[in-house]
Order: sequence, then structure tokens, then C-alpha cells
Amino acid sequence: MKEWNLLLKKEWKKVSVIVLAALLLAVSIIGQGYLFVTIVDRVFVEGGGLSAVLVPLTLLLGVLWIRTGVSTAIARTGVRLASRAKRMMRERLLHKISGASVGESGQVEAGRRVSVFMDAVEETDSYFSGYVPQVIQSLIVPLFLFVTIAVIHLNSAFIILATSPFIPLFYIIIGMKTKEKSEEKVEEMNELSGKFLDILQGLTTLKLFRKAKAQKETIETSSLRFRDATMEVLKTAFVSSLMLELISMLSIGLIALEIALQLIIFENMNFFTAFFILILAPEFYNYLKQLGFAFHTGRTSMGAASKVFEEINKPEDGMQWGEKELSLSCPPHIVLRDATHRYGEDGFYTGPVSVDLTPGKNLAIAGRTGSGKSTLLHLISGLMPVKEGTIEVEEEDLHEYREDEWMNHVSYISQDPYIFSGTLKENIIIGAGGRSSPEEVETALRKAGLYELTQRLEDGMNTPLGEGGRGLSGGEKQRLALARAFLKDPYIVLLDEPTTGLDLETERILSESLTELSQHATMITVAHRLHTIREADEILFLEDGRVAGQGTHEELFGTVDEYRRMTTASQGVEVQ
Amino acid sequence: MKELRTVLALVAREKKDIWFSIVFGVLAGLTTVGLFGASGYLISKAALAPPLYTLIIVIAMVKLFGFTRALGRYVERLFSHRATFTILSHIRTRFFEMLEPEVPHIFRKYRSGDLLARVIGDVESLQNFFLRVYYPPIVLVIVFLSTMIFTTFFSWMLALLFFLGLVIVGVVIPFIATLKQRKSQYSVREGRGILSTKLAEWLYGFRDLKIYQKQEETEADLRKSMETYEAAHERQQLQMAGGEGWNLLASLTATWAVVLVSVWQIGAGELDGIFLAMFIMISLMVFEDAGPMANVPRHLEDNRNAAERLFSLPGQTGRHSGDVSLEPFGPLSFSMENVTYSFPESLTPVLQDATISFPAGSKTAIVGASGSGKSTIQQLLLSMDVPEAGRIKVQDKDMQRVSQESVWKEVNTILQESHFFYGTVRDNLLLADEDADDRRMKEVLERVKLPHLSPEHPVEEKGGNLSGGEKQRLALARIYLKPARTWILDEPFSSVDVLTERELMQDFWETAVHDTVILISHNLKGLEQMDNIVVVEQGQVIEKGSYEELMEWKGYFYRMKQLENTLIG
Ligand SMILES: Nc1ncnc2c1ncn2[C@@H]1O[C@H](COP(=O)(O)OP(=O)(O)OP(=O)(O)O)[C@@H](O)[C@H]1O
Ligand SMILES: Nc1ncnc2c1ncn2[C@@H]1O[C@H](COP(=O)(O)OP(=O)(O)OP(=O)(O)O)[C@@H](O)[C@H]1O
Ligand SMILES: [Mg+2]
Ligand SMILES: [Mg+2]
Repeated sequence: MKEWNLLLKKEWKKVSVIVLAALLLAVSIIGQGYLFVTIVDRVFVEGGGLSAVLVPLTLLLGVLWIRTGVSTAIARTGVRLASRAKRMMRERLLHKISGASVGESGQVEAGRRVSVFMDAVEETDSYFSGYVPQVIQSLIVPLFLFVTIAVIHLNSAFIILATSPFIPLFYIIIGMKTKEKSEEKVEEMNELSGKFLDILQGLTTLKLFRKAKAQKETIETSSLRFRDATMEVLKTAFVSSLMLELISMLSIGLIALEIALQLIIFENMNFFTAFFILILAPEFYNYLKQLGFAFHTGRTSMGAASKVFEEINKPEDGMQWGEKELSLSCPPHIVLRDATHRYGEDGFYTGPVSVDLTPGKNLAIAGRTGSGKSTLLHLISGLMPVKEGTIEVEEEDLHEYREDEWMNHVSYISQDPYIFSGTLKENIIIGAGGRSSPEEVETALRKAGLYELTQRLEDGMNTPLGEGGRGLSGGEKQRLALARAFLKDPYIVLLDEPTTGLDLETERILSESLTELSQHATMITVAHRLHTIREADEILFLEDGRVAGQGTHEELFGTVDEYRRMTTASQGVEVQ
Repeated sequence: MKELRTVLALVAREKKDIWFSIVFGVLAGLTTVGLFGASGYLISKAALAPPLYTLIIVIAMVKLFGFTRALGRYVERLFSHRATFTILSHIRTRFFEMLEPEVPHIFRKYRSGDLLARVIGDVESLQNFFLRVYYPPIVLVIVFLSTMIFTTFFSWMLALLFFLGLVIVGVVIPFIATLKQRKSQYSVREGRGILSTKLAEWLYGFRDLKIYQKQEETEADLRKSMETYEAAHERQQLQMAGGEGWNLLASLTATWAVVLVSVWQIGAGELDGIFLAMFIMISLMVFEDAGPMANVPRHLEDNRNAAERLFSLPGQTGRHSGDVSLEPFGPLSFSMENVTYSFPESLTPVLQDATISFPAGSKTAIVGASGSGKSTIQQLLLSMDVPEAGRIKVQDKDMQRVSQESVWKEVNTILQESHFFYGTVRDNLLLADEDADDRRMKEVLERVKLPHLSPEHPVEEKGGNLSGGEKQRLALARIYLKPARTWILDEPFSSVDVLTERELMQDFWETAVHDTVILISHNLKGLEQMDNIVVVEQGQVIEKGSYEELMEWKGYFYRMKQLENTLIG
């Protein structure tokens, strides 16, 4: 919330416009009442004709127009303020997401995050467009009205004084409940979004298990739950506005009674004063009532805002990067010293790993499934922070470098590469920062064995892929990711089972291209089909996160049982 | 208005609440006018020093009006909001119903972030349909007409003025506002969709964007979309504030005209002066609720837009299910006869004239180069799509006439990419068998070599916190819980190491001895025991037969085996 107050300070000009407008509004409300009363008084009590009220009539029109102009100005300024605030929050959310690390806060919970960004922020709109302007008006206008009433008839002012403390009491009641309930509401909304996106993505799976139809109920229950949460928030608002209404009505009734008594029994008040008060008093209560409603919206917005700021201020788990530059003319020297990693508090532990990656080295990481191979690649690539130990690049801690300086030299082909919604070409040049000629793209496609595919497509390289476009087969996706690396031609190449889902023929084409790539790059390859890594300079064999063996194929074959079993098994020879 | 028809039908389901909203809305509106009219009359009457009892009656009336008005408003709000949010839930479910048969084809046209924006944002914006467009004008017109009828007892002229005011505030100004709005082309709804789509894509592709250092670019791009959206949104809100301003101006001017005419009529002796205060008060009140009318067409346009985005997803790209069911429980037989299938954008068909038969209880392997059409065969056998030409039969029945659900019931399948849902391992296993208890789950997890995953183990969106091999094994666990005797598996162990693969395979073959098995594989080892091996190349079945036959044939398969020997040795 601190951020909001700062924003209000920064936008003091807009706030002063509202204050000024509210002052004018107060004056015009009093003026309007005065003129109405004057006209009625002259016509009804004094029996004057049209000519007697020409001046007040003309003035009245002017005052009414001013009132309109002023109200509109306040509304428009509120809209502008709200828009500023929302931009500020959305920008900070974007910034936050872009700084996150991959393992823990990237990727996950897309639906929920989209909902925070879109809906929770939208929900805060009414704080600036409704609450703030209303508070200013409700501080200024009733004060002016009260003073006016006190000046013309003190008794009424006393009645107002006696009854109005009840009104803030209700604000307090509203305030206590609304914020919490609105936080719940935002949560339900986020959950609804998250659920929907997850269901949507997995609908094929759901169908195959014949659960797709049943999801209709899940959606229905979630959205009914959201309805109930919303109604909870609104009910407090409705009940309190009922109460405020009743209180203000009782007070106005009291004032009217007192005036009637003065007018008829004691006959010490004239019609003018009586009518004037009777016109001003409801306006007074009206502004207090509106404040009640605005207070409610304000608290609702705050509920949403605290969810937004919770997201913005979540403790950073991202990588901390430095400012150093990294300009290379050959692969860098990378050294891992007892590097470890742990997922969350007590999740899977990997390491300690020590390895010396001399420039151009060919490192392979092997191990059974779930032994931490991909995790280790994430560490080396700088997508996840190391817990203990260090990774040094050119005798400097990796974290000393600027993120882009490092990433510019890295290609990482993950186990499940993401195909962006865009054309085939765009999907490939993403790897090279967009500065590639069509010929280079074609060469990369050829190296990845994808060129024939483009020949079979109507729009060739301009075929849209990904969501909203054409699908690819499993192996084609894998090769597309490789094509990105071939185009980028970096100094460090990280490959996570690059030949999964590929037939032997395609694999052969690829291994040629990969060998070419490795001529001037350090290669780190994860593989469980061990024949692909036999030629590696060094093999790291992981078992349950720990390094169970390190050395060349021959060394490991001789010393590590598990490794020997795996190699022989992949050759189809049973070992005893 | 065609687009809103579905919405209207869903609105109509909440008849009772609609009636309550309208009745109580009218009640509150009339009593408000009554309340202020009566107090204006009261004050004038009091000035004439009348007998006390007349005053007491009027005061009592004012009180009664006041209470009724407060209660009326309360009830109206309660019912109208409840109706609204129930309607929104109907709309959401209907949207999902429409969407469900279109998956997965819908992703060729639409992106999931976009669909999300529709189901959340567009649906939310439809709350204005009931709350601002549907019933308030009805209430307003009833209140206005009642006031006019009341006024005719005093003065025709004033009644006519009220009518004129209503026309200006309710028709003329809103109409001008629509004209102004038409000019702006950019739709706020679409802008919101674009923003949500881009953000979802960013989050899904986060890792790859990070590696390629695109996240700053993406952030900047998103920021730009956000600015455009925010600016359009602001413009829209400003226009709305402006519209209400114009309506306020018209209302107050109308009240002013009422004063002018009344004074003139009183001067002419056509109206009693005692009613002047009353008409001023009535006029102020009756126009007060008219302000929002200026934006009714704007909301309507917005709603039309939202409804169109929701209910005009191109229908019927998906396949319609037949209604013949299969005899329950037994290994199925399939046959494909001269099947041709193609995707819209390809020049050549993905499958061409493919003829394969899968007898009940047989074991078939499908091998072939990447992109040759193996997964497509799986899709067709699973009845997810219909071939362009040729026939697919299951149990000798035409696939198109068999209900999809009954095929899915009898088949255990693993797709090349399995989806896992946010939740726990248990949630994901329950999909296959609702009644599975923890003991059975642990048993099956043990069986697929995942003893370290307990049913409580959290699973993130798309299984993000599991390793590649763990996901494949969890997918296997899932189908082991489902009692079906036909297995269609697309590279179920491609990310699992050889040792684990061998154990899993052994166990699998023991389970499926008498079952129909169709296995898509790149691993040519262990195919000796298959009854039939089908080799696919560029959408065509180029070889089929037993292992020995294919080796004898010395064709594609033989060459692949040779290659395997040189590579793996
Ligand atoms: N984001 C995550 N959060 C928590 N745990 C994780 C996460 N990602 C992976 N793990 C766990 O860490 C362990 C190692 O995973 P990793 O992906 O490194 O294995 P792997 O060796 O690559 O296996 P595979 O060959 O199956 O891909 C697994 O038990 C996995 O469940
Ligand atoms: N959704 C889709 N839209 C358009 N074309 C597609 C789609 N899915 C696959 N294709 C194309 O159809 C062809 C066959 O794809 P399929 O997925 O059947 O191949 P596959 O044999 O399973 O390959 P892999 O071994 O790589 O998984 C490929 O050329 C692929 O590009
Ligand atoms: Mg892995
Ligand atoms: Mg496939």
C-alpha cells in the first residue's frame, strides 16, 4: 500500500484538481439549494410571477451547469489516476516475472499468474476511480453543508451532530470484513483461472479417461464458489448501505419534525429557512452514504491490491546476476567446485559436483532416470542458482557476469522444448537474436534434418506453429530446438537427451551436425542411450543426485557397476 | 443481436430473480420519487399552517416511503446481483460445453491464453448485461411513466416535459454516445485478449525465452500491449464518464425547465403554488437514476462483442461421436483400410492409403522415421479424428458409428506427451480410477519404479517438478489403474534409462499377454517377439510382417537394423 500513497503524492496535481473541484461542488450544491428555495419562496409564499424569479432562474441554470462540469471533472480525473496506478502495478508484475529463475517460480501456475496480472489489477481500479475522489468529496462537501446549516438553523446542526457518529461506526464494520472477504474473492478468481487453463491444456488426456464431461461440473462448482465469494463481499455492502439509509432517514425525519414544530407550533421560523434546510440535509447524508459505499469499494480494491503486492514482493528466488561483461573468442573455461542444489526446503538434492570444463571439452552426464541430470544442466546453464559451491567461468564466479552476457554464449536444448506461437522461421531465429539471413536459417534447418519438412508445407518457413498454428510431431519439435542451436552456433551447448524420440536414421544425420557444432564449442550432453556418449572426453555418472563415477568410458566401464550394466543392457547383452 | 441470443437464453433461466429485481427496483424507484415529492409537499403545506393531523398523515407517509425505499433497494440489489453471478456461471459452463468437443483442434486456431481471457474476462464483462443493460431500463421506464401519469393530474405541460426529458436522457444522448464510440476501432475486449494471450505464452515458454535472452524483449512487447490496452481502457472509461456528464447536464436542465414551466403555469393560474416544491423534488429524483442510461448502448456493444468472442468459436471442426457402443471388456481388434488423412497446411497427406490390421490379442509395433505419421495412426485409432478417405473399423464396426467414449473406455493409451494436472500424484491417478485407494496407488507406483513418489507428492502444472522419465512412468501408472485390455502406446519409455525400461517392459508384457498391443517405438531391440511390425515412411506403409519376414525382405527395416548395429555395436 505504501506504493499507492507514493503514487498519490506523485500525482498531487490530479489530487488537487479533485480537491478544487470538490470545493466548487460544495459551493454549487449550496447555491443550487438556495436558488431553488428562493424561487419557491417568491412564487409560492410571496405570490410573485415569472418576472419576479427571472434572475434566480438564470443563475440556477448556471449553477446547475457548473455542478455538472465539476462532477464530470472529478470522475475523469479519477479514471486517469486509476489508469496510472494499474500501469504501475502491471509494469512491476512484468518486471518481477522476468527476473524469476526457472525451477521455482518461472513456468509454474501460468493461469493463476495471468489472473493476478489481468483481473486482480483490474479489481483495484475502483480505489482511484471511486474511493479516492469520493473520500475527498465526502470530506469537503458535508463540511460546507454542515456549516451552512449551522449558520441558518443551529438546532438542525445539533441533530446532525448527534446522529452522524453512527455513520462512521458502520464504516468500521464494513472495513473490518470487506478486505478479507475480497482477498478470498480474488483467490477464488485466481483459482478459477488456474483450473481452467490446466483443464484446457489437458483436455485430451481428460477425454481419454472419459473425464472431460465431468470437468463441466468442476468449472461450474468453481464459478459458483466464485459467485458466493463475490456475494459475500457485496452483501456486507448492501446491508451496510441499508443501515446507513435507515440512519440517515431517521435523522432527516428528526430534522423535519423539529422544523415542522418550529414552523407551525412556535411559528418562529419562516418557510425559506425550513425549505432550505430540508433541501440541504439529505445532500449532507447522501455524501456520507456514498462515502460508505465508496469505502466498501476501496476496501475491496485493497484486498485485490494486497494480492497483487504479495505477488510483487514475493521473496526473490531468482539468480542474482552481476555487471561483468564476457567477451569470448573461444569456449570459456568453466569449473564447477562442489556445486550443489536442492529443490525447496527438503526436495531432491543434487551434488556436490566438481568438474573442470576446459575449452572445447565434451562432457557427458549419464545416470538412471530421476538421478538429477537435468537439474545439473540447469545449474550449469545458470537457469537455477547453486546452493553451495561455485561455478566459475573464466576464473570468475558465474554470478558476476551480466545475465545476457552469459546467455549469449549458451544454447540449451531441453527435454521438452517449447514451440512458440509464431512462424517456423521465427521459432528458429529466436535462438540467434533475430540477425540471420534466410540462407543461414536454411542451413540450420538442413543440419537439423528439417529442411524436407518445410518443402512439404504450403507456406514453407512461414507456416505458423505452436498454439494457434500447426502441430509438429514429437521428433520434429526436438529437431526444431536443435536447429535453434545450429543457427546460434554458441560456445557452450547443453543438450538434454537430444536424440529422444528420433529414429536412428535421423539420429545419424544429427550426430554429424552435432560433431560439427562441437568443433568450436564446449558440449555438455545428457544421455541415457549410452552409445551417443562413448566418445565423450569425460563422463559424469550420477546416482540419486550424487556423483557415482567420473572419467572416460573405459574408466567407468571398469569401475562403476551400474554404468557397466547400463552400457551392456543398451547393447542388448544380458549381464549377470 | 444474434450473438446475445445465447446469453439471453441463459439469462432467462433465472426468471424468479429477474422478477424480484424488477419489482423491487420499481418499488424503490417509485418510493424515492414519492418520498421526495411528499416532503416537498409537506414543507409547503406546513407553511400554510394547516391542522396538525394533515401534517401527521403526510409525515407518516414520508416515513413509510423512506423505509420501503431502503428495503426495496436492498432486496433489488441482492436479487439482481445473485442473478447476475449465477448467469455468469451458466455462461462459463456453456462455453466449456462448446469448447470440449473442439479440443485439440481448437488449438490450431486459438491460443490458450486467449481462451482464458474469454472465459474469465469476457464472461465477467457480461455482468453488465444484466446489471446495466437488461433490467434497469425497464425499471426506469416504469418509474418514469408512473410519475408522468401522476403528473397529468396536475399539469399536462409538466408531464410532457418529463416525457421529453426521458427521450433526451434515455434515447438521444445514448444514441450520440454510440456514434462517437463506433469511431474507435480498437476493441478493449480484444486488447485484453491479446494481453492475456501474450502473458500466458511468456509464462509457458519461460525457460526457452530465458535461454535465448528474449525475456526482456518479450517484457517490452508485453508492456507495449499493456499500454495500448490501458490507454484504450482509459479512453473508454473517460467516454463513459463524459456520457454520464452529458446525461447529468440534460437531467438538471430538464429539472430547470420544470421549474420554469411550473412558475409560468402558477403565474397563469393553471397550477397551485403549493405543488411547486413537490415538482422540483420529484424532478430532481426521477432524473437521478437516468444518468447511467447514457452508457447503456456502450455496455450493450461491449457485451455483444464479448458474447461474440465467447459463442462464435468456429464449431464443428471436432469430430462427432457415433452412438454404437462396443461390447464391454475384451481386447479390441482394429483395421485400417486404405486410410488417407491430411492436415490443412500440408501439401502432401500425412497418411496415404494405409492398410493395416490389428487382430484382437495381437502385438504390433509401428516403426518409422520421425514425422512419418506414427502418432497420427494412434490419433485415428483413438477415434480423435476421421480419415479423409478409407475406413477404420473397430471390432468390425465402422469407427465413425461407434461412440468415442466406448472406444476410450476399452483402450489404455499413452500419448507422446502426457499431461499432468496441478495437484498431487493422487489427483492425477484418480483420473484413471476414482475408487483407487492409497494402498493400490502405492502398489502401482511401486510397480512403475516410482516408490519415492507418495500419493501426496505435489505435482505442478504440466508435471513441471517431475523429471522426464518420472512423467513417463507416472503416465504408465495412470493407465495401469484402468482396467482395459487394449494398449496403444506412443514411445512410452523414450526418456527412461535402459535398465528401468527393461524392467518396465518385462512387467508390461506379463500384464498384456492376451491383450491387443500397439507399440510405437524407435527402439528396434526386442521386436523379435512382435506378431507384426509395420514400417511407416512419409505417410505410407512400406513394409509389414514379422521380424523374420522383414529381415528376409532386406528392405528399410533391415537397413535400420544394420544401422543400429554400427551405431550401438
Ligand atoms: N522443479 C522441481 N521441483 C522439485 N523437484 C524437482 C523439480 N524438478 C525435478 N525435481 C526432482 O528432482 C529429481 C531429479 O530430477 P531431474 O529432472 O534432474 O532428473 P533426470 O536425471 O533428468 O531424470 P530423467 O532422465 O528422467 O529426465 C527428480 O526426483 C525430480 O522429481
Ligand atoms: N497438429 C498437427 N497439425 C498439422 N500437422 C501435424 C500435426 N501434428 C503432426 N503433424 C504433421 O504430420 C506429420 C506426421 O506426424 P506424426 O506426429 O504422426 O509423426 P510421428 O511419426 O509420430 O513422428 P515422431 O516420431 O517424430 O513422433 C508430421 O509431418 C507432422 O509435422
Ligand atoms: Mg531429465
Ligand atoms: Mg509421434
